[in-house]
Amino acid sequence: MTLQIASPKLQIPWRLLVHGDASAFDNMATDEAILRHVVEGRSPCTLRFYGWTPSAVSLGYFQSVAQEVDEAACHAQGVDVVRRLTGGGAVYHDQAGEITYSLTLPESYPGVPTKVLDSYESLCRGLVLGFARLGLAAQFQPINDILVNGKKISGNAQTRRFGGILQHGTLLCDVNPTVMFSLLKVPNEKIRDKLIAGVTERVTSIRRELGAVDRTAVVQAMIAGFTEALDIELTPGELSASEKALAAQLKEERYANREWIYKR
Amino acid sequence: MPTANGFTSADYKVAGGKLLRVRLHIVEGVIQAITLTGDFFMHPEEAIEDLEARLTGVPLTAAALRAQVDAFFAADVQVIGADAADIVHIILMAATS
Repeated sequence: MTLQIASPKLQIPWRLLVHGDASAFDNMATDEAILRHVVEGRSPCTLRFYGWTPSAVSLGYFQSVAQEVDEAACHAQGVDVVRRLTGGGAVYHDQAGEITYSLTLPESYPGVPTKVLDSYESLCRGLVLGFARLGLAAQFQPINDILVNGKKISGNAQTRRFGGILQHGTLLCDVNPTVMFSLLKVPNEKIRDKLIAGVTERVTSIRRELGAVDRTAVVQAMIAGFTEALDIELTPGELSASEKALAAQLKEERYANREWIYKR
Repeated sequence: MPTANGFTSADYKVAGGKLLRVRLHIVEGVIQAITLTGDFFMHPEEAIEDLEARLTGVPLTAAALRAQVDAFFAADVQVIGADAADIVHIILMAATS
């Protein structure tokens, strides 16, 4: 399924943000600040790339910290824990092993399916085409994953709020399931090794598929992929002062706030 | 119909879907408090609180639970990774565990 843009003449402006690493709290606050500005028409539709320093675990909106995360282990390893605005599962965002993207657009954007489930495939097409440019035959797998050689290489999560769509997701550059499961709760210790083996079997990474990771090349490939999939022209830009101020406020009131983190 | 009092929980992986977890506080076969967690998606997300509020005070029978969950799903909400039957199932699983 392809996004059917009504006409290229629509010339909907798109902004490209290539950001470096930031904390989990800043990353999630910035994504929401952009979303709120896009729906109010104060910012253009936005494609953003970013990383995580320090490494962090993000939880889906409906998950419980107590059920999913070994907080003592996270603390000992200097790993932050954040609750996302989006549903889905717990993700370990490794400082060196991941590039993250976010895509923000109004819900009324031409061609975007009303059903969230359908729109994952439309919006993920940019990533599929991006991986192709890296020489990787990727395919979308419902509900919200992208596979290469039958293994997951990207997980995605979407929210629709305030009249807008925010979809963010991972581009796995390197995977270390042993570290990952040292931070996440496992049902019982006996199956920890089995879970680690399971991830090795079901999850891959750009390094594993290509032998090396050129982060700049990955980002460039994804930019080209989204440009083609959405039939858009991306203009490099920056966060506005208003977005930065809102992000700072959302970080304090929400993402770095214990009440939000321990909400469920 | 379970009549046990106290706190109970269950996990349920929906086939082809997501993991649902539930924590229940039951008094005399009636839900006093319920928290649904997991890696599913619900749009709008805040609707989860409506669902939990609807289920609070409901007796632990399939029919009573199903009526509330169906009414919730009939509203303008999209749930991905679990359906109404899965939610009723996991609550009864916890109640009878």
